[in-house]
Amino acid sequence: MANASKSFGRWFHQLGSPKWFYQKSAKWLPWLWIATAVLLAFGLYYSLFASPVDYQQGNSVRIMYIHVPAAALSMVGYLAMAICAVIGMVWKMKMSFMAMRAIAPVGALFTFICLFTGSLWGIPTWGTWWEWDARMTSELVLLFLYLGFIALHSSFNDRSKADNAAAILALVGAINIPIIYGSVKWWNTLHQAYSVTKKGAIAPEMQTPLFIMIAGFYLLFAIMVIIRLRLEIMNREAKSKWLQEVIS
Amino acid sequence: MGSNNSNLEVKGLTISRNEQILLEDIDLAFKAGTISHLIGENGAGKTSLMRALAGLLSLDSGEVFWNSLKSNHPEANFSKVLLFLAHNLAMKHELSIAENLQFYSALRGKRASTSDIQQVATELHIESLLDRNFAELSAGQQHKVSLCRLKLEQTKLWILDEPFVNLDAQTRDWLSQQLMSFANNGGVVIFTSHQAIEGLKIHQRVSLSHQQEVSA
Amino acid sequence: MFATLLKRELMLARRNWVGILIPLFFFVMVVSLFPFAVSPEAEFLQQIAAGVVWVAALLSVLLSLDMFYRSDYQDGSLEQLLIMASPTQVALSKVTAHWLVTGLPLVLMSPVLAGLMHLNYSPDANVATSHTAVMMLSLLLGTPTMCLLGAIGMSLSLAASRNGMLVAVMILPLYVPILIFGSAVITASLTNSGYNAQLAILGAILLFALVLTPFAAGRALKVAVS
Repeated sequence: MANASKSFGRWFHQLGSPKWFYQKSAKWLPWLWIATAVLLAFGLYYSLFASPVDYQQGNSVRIMYIHVPAAALSMVGYLAMAICAVIGMVWKMKMSFMAMRAIAPVGALFTFICLFTGSLWGIPTWGTWWEWDARMTSELVLLFLYLGFIALHSSFNDRSKADNAAAILALVGAINIPIIYGSVKWWNTLHQAYSVTKKGAIAPEMQTPLFIMIAGFYLLFAIMVIIRLRLEIMNREAKSKWLQEVIS
Repeated sequence: MGSNNSNLEVKGLTISRNEQILLEDIDLAFKAGTISHLIGENGAGKTSLMRALAGLLSLDSGEVFWNSLKSNHPEANFSKVLLFLAHNLAMKHELSIAENLQFYSALRGKRASTSDIQQVATELHIESLLDRNFAELSAGQQHKVSLCRLKLEQTKLWILDEPFVNLDAQTRDWLSQQLMSFANNGGVVIFTSHQAIEGLKIHQRVSLSHQQEVSA
Repeated sequence: MFATLLKRELMLARRNWVGILIPLFFFVMVVSLFPFAVSPEAEFLQQIAAGVVWVAALLSVLLSLDMFYRSDYQDGSLEQLLIMASPTQVALSKVTAHWLVTGLPLVLMSPVLAGLMHLNYSPDANVATSHTAVMMLSLLLGTPTMCLLGAIGMSLSLAASRNGMLVAVMILPLYVPILIFGSAVITASLTNSGYNAQLAILGAILLFALVLTPFAAGRALKVAVS
């Protein structure tokens, strides 16, 4: 037990070192790419060709296999950002702030993908690309939160100030998300009851490819964050000796 | 060293701005009854050091101690003890001189009486301006108003960023007198100044130089 | 100490009385544009009144934030306040003053706007309605939350190189819940259905914000001066 917590402590400490992360992540990336490619290829084949057609929605249901994973990651991304913010504030860990900054645009991208595919899906289902559906509206607000975060972080000349300020915003946003989601849902039931994702069990033949796609999206998200984080490290540690040695 | 002594100590202080390390692993001690002069060229980190001592700037590492207690420890009572005068005078233009000074002393827990304010103002020859709005004063007069705070607030540590700049000879002497009598009564003074101040007894000179130059 | 801080804020606000009237003018002007843009028909205006008044209130609270924070940041007073008082107290004193000086007057002004928007319109002239009172109640519970959340956004953007719009971009998404429940209160009153639950939720959000936001805003102020 003591040993486990010790090794966790060491791992945590190493993760806090930009140098360690920069060098190790270079070795992780190829493996991550392979795993992602396999999962996504398999998942896409499964979802586009091997899964059944929805008896109501026809082939358009296949958008779900992109839409739902993107939606999941958009929220997980914000949560991860808030967790990084807390770690950065409590332990004054710079790497954590860098990770927070790296997640933001990736999370925003996935939120946008979710909204975009949702709109595409809406055209055959609703007959319009935008409907004030509760989930779609929440995603829209989430996109605004991401954009607010990015706007704030890029408005400072001093990076550490930017990190600290944006961390507070990420945390405030994360606490607000459940409230926003709850109120939007309530507001939606008040007005109309459209919903793409009908409640009820999803057919198992659809479940498997969906889970594969979600797993693939998680890995894709991780890869994009790692790449952005490496760029962030290059930017911030540009003057440090180790980085100059690595590059040359 | 008695426990009543007021001491400011800094251990292992590192501060950086914009990913650039300004001061690295610095140990300093400012003892009760001393006046310390911070010296260094522009950009050497004098202002940053002062702001770090005042608890405004977050430290990369290290601790600031007041009477052997961490300065952010509630029992150190640091916020009551410290008077920090920065470049900007922190006075509201729409309030009168008296109102400005009263507010700061009230925030310390003891509102300065009109006669106290009158007295300091007389020493600095601004007694006729007390009811004017701060905005109506000349730059020199505004500076004098901020110096009034030194005598109106009961503190033990003065951190003064360029207090002598743009002062006439008379006020400069007045300020030197204040620093020395404050130190004589057990106070701690830390100040920066580009010029040497005649007649001011300085106990300690702290020289800051560029610690970290990247290109070797 | 809080009393001293609050007194100072209010004194400064009194000296800046024109600055305080501007958000109120803005509030009235924005609302009075709607009849021009849509239709002066009473029945129609009544339908959109809740939303229009609430959005206008949101915007004028956001626009009035600046004067409570910016000048203290620029002239160094904020540093002095944070040295001598706890950040949470400083934030809370500013929020309180901001609400007393802009939020409360907005609530008191709102009946005029309700009149402009024909909120009390009723096809049967003999029936008196209480929609205006309900609207005031919703704003009374909603405006403090606007001031609290706005304080965080404003404090965060103080040290940023661009501001103004930045505060709005950060904070408007956080205003969605109170906007939903605030205007729902009025809509419920218009349709003669119960609005107590919505009012209770607005109150709950206010209490929640009152507990957490001063702390966050205080931290944000600390970051701004660092």
